[in-house]
Amino acid sequence: MNDFLELLVGATASGCVYALVALSYLLITRPTGVINFAVGEWSMLAAFGGFVLLSRLSLPYPVGMVLVLGGMFLIGWATERLTVRPLLEKGAPALAPILALLGMLVVFREVVSLGFGPDPQPVPPSFGFGRLELGLIAGSYQSFFIIAVTLSVFALTWYFFERTLAGKSFEAVAIDRRAAALMGINLRRVTSLAFAGSAVVAGLAGVLVSPNVSAHYLMGLPLAIQGFTALVIGGVGRVEGALLGGLILAFAEQFTVRYAPVPPGLAMGVPLVLLIVFLLLKPTGLLRAREARP
Amino acid sequence: MKKFFLHKALTVMAGAMVLLSSAAFAQNTIKIGMITDKVGPAKGYAEPVAQGAVYAVKELNAKGGLLGRQIELLVEDDQGKPDVSATAARKLVDSGVAFILSVSLTPATQQAQSVTRESKTPHMTPSNSGDTLTTQVDNANFWQTGPLGSTQISTLLSYARNKNYKRVALVTDNSDLGQLTNRFFKAELEKNNIQIVSEEVVPRGSTTADPQMQKVRAANPDAMFMTGVLTPENALILRSYRQLGLKAPILGNYNMSIPVYSSIAKGLLDGVVFVDAFDPAKAETKRFVESYKKDTGTEPYNLNGYGYDGIMLVADAIKRAGSTDKDKIREAMQSTKAYKGVMGSVNAAYGFTDGKRTGFDTNGMVVRVYEGDAQGKVVHVGNK
Repeated sequence: MNDFLELLVGATASGCVYALVALSYLLITRPTGVINFAVGEWSMLAAFGGFVLLSRLSLPYPVGMVLVLGGMFLIGWATERLTVRPLLEKGAPALAPILALLGMLVVFREVVSLGFGPDPQPVPPSFGFGRLELGLIAGSYQSFFIIAVTLSVFALTWYFFERTLAGKSFEAVAIDRRAAALMGINLRRVTSLAFAGSAVVAGLAGVLVSPNVSAHYLMGLPLAIQGFTALVIGGVGRVEGALLGGLILAFAEQFTVRYAPVPPGLAMGVPLVLLIVFLLLKPTGLLRAREARP
Repeated sequence: MKKFFLHKALTVMAGAMVLLSSAAFAQNTIKIGMITDKVGPAKGYAEPVAQGAVYAVKELNAKGGLLGRQIELLVEDDQGKPDVSATAARKLVDSGVAFILSVSLTPATQQAQSVTRESKTPHMTPSNSGDTLTTQVDNANFWQTGPLGSTQISTLLSYARNKNYKRVALVTDNSDLGQLTNRFFKAELEKNNIQIVSEEVVPRGSTTADPQMQKVRAANPDAMFMTGVLTPENALILRSYRQLGLKAPILGNYNMSIPVYSSIAKGLLDGVVFVDAFDPAKAETKRFVESYKKDTGTEPYNLNGYGYDGIMLVADAIKRAGSTDKDKIREAMQSTKAYKGVMGSVNAAYGFTDGKRTGFDTNGMVVRVYEGDAQGKVVHVGNK
């Protein structure tokens, strides 16, 4: 039972990281229909930002975090401006931006691998590597920090989409692009902001997870796959879906490893089986998208 | 008009001179090919080994080269992919190399052998540890001089003999080399009647190793062997191990000897036992460390030493062969014995005895223990 509760905290923290990556996909996919597999590389860029600012320059954690996320905002904005928008303006088919972003994935990864070399680099956690025990529930400081930050991000995102006019304009674009444009919503600005916001969220995931996994140039793809699986489970329609999907995925992964009587190599297949099951039986994910009200 | 002709004539002459001089240069050098991985998954290991090889060539050339000729190192990148590796080997053979050094992944080196076997080109890997490289393909032109996976575990077990471990845990990752190393460790443990009470895999890209470490903790082993080779995942394992308060001693494969652990696993390393092929107290090693540092400005470590020894062994064979004739070089290489290099314990020497083509002294690995975050002195030598 102790093991179970202990694992609960760690698994929730992992699930939160997956959820942030899933949210990063969702922020772009909802209004634009583009799937951006480079979100994992965005996390990696932010992790290296964390390494430079927090490890090398030893800036205070909040300062470093704000600088990294500010940088990610610019990177996300620039990615859209330089790779996606020119394609759309020239009337390229819908697949073109997805492929261009896959190309960016390679560009980001190789730039980091050339600049920092192949060795992993350390990124410090927010409050050190200590362990917090609250009665039966125990976990590392960083696990609790990841959970708290992720829940705040999801609460803010939910508030933005549900309660603010700007957020509603995103939702409107997601529901019907043409109608939204006719209503005077600036599609370009929505797309720009979607990419910039997505990069910030992906970057946050990168900085949060890197004290554990270290910053290294190959860290992006696994995160991108985990986040994508979480997105498929939760559904692309709703912000809460990303959180739910991330948590389900992490629980499935870790409780299988811990308790299922399968050979160690096979436990890795569980998330993939989950992905296949959801794609077959519930391709829209657990939570349904809101539709236009009649 | 006149001026135009003069100009043209000069250009042609200059061109001819360039051609002539490069032809003369090409004739005068001994070409050695190297297949490395610059962008793939082995990059982190292949590149430092390659750097050691590049330095060795530089050092040899500064001392007048080989057989009175300068050495030219032709480097190819195989991205860690077997098919590309074979193509790279073909390209090197076509450019007339006397020897090929493979420092990429084990499967890539395996595939490159198809070319060297057919073209009878001497070929060796100074760093790959897979036991099967010289046994799966009958290629008389191929040698392996890095320590084998099986030597790593037998050395660790020889160190642990008086500790009398009965029940142990094995933790690895899902990389090819991690799985292969795990297999050799498992076989050797079973041969010694040591029970494996928990066998865990931490896959590449995991965000925690808590569930695996909980299982190890529940199994309560006498010791935990780490056989994975993915550095970030190994750091993850160490972090969970400390966080969950495990106490069983850790014995790591040679991957734990890479200095990068001191930064990414800071505070987690004290007491971790690891097998290495590098003894900083050895005279040859000291000399290498000093001259490398003087030349490149960075302190070399074990991976650089593999590449350095690789080139030096090749150079030694070519010197004894007295020519770049492939058959003569093959015979000279096969008769290498008692060659003392940078790698291995104080008394270790390379040699291919009994027709074997694995040259690392099976009794030449060492065991070291982390003191704090620093790699400590050698505490045990050999596997006897």
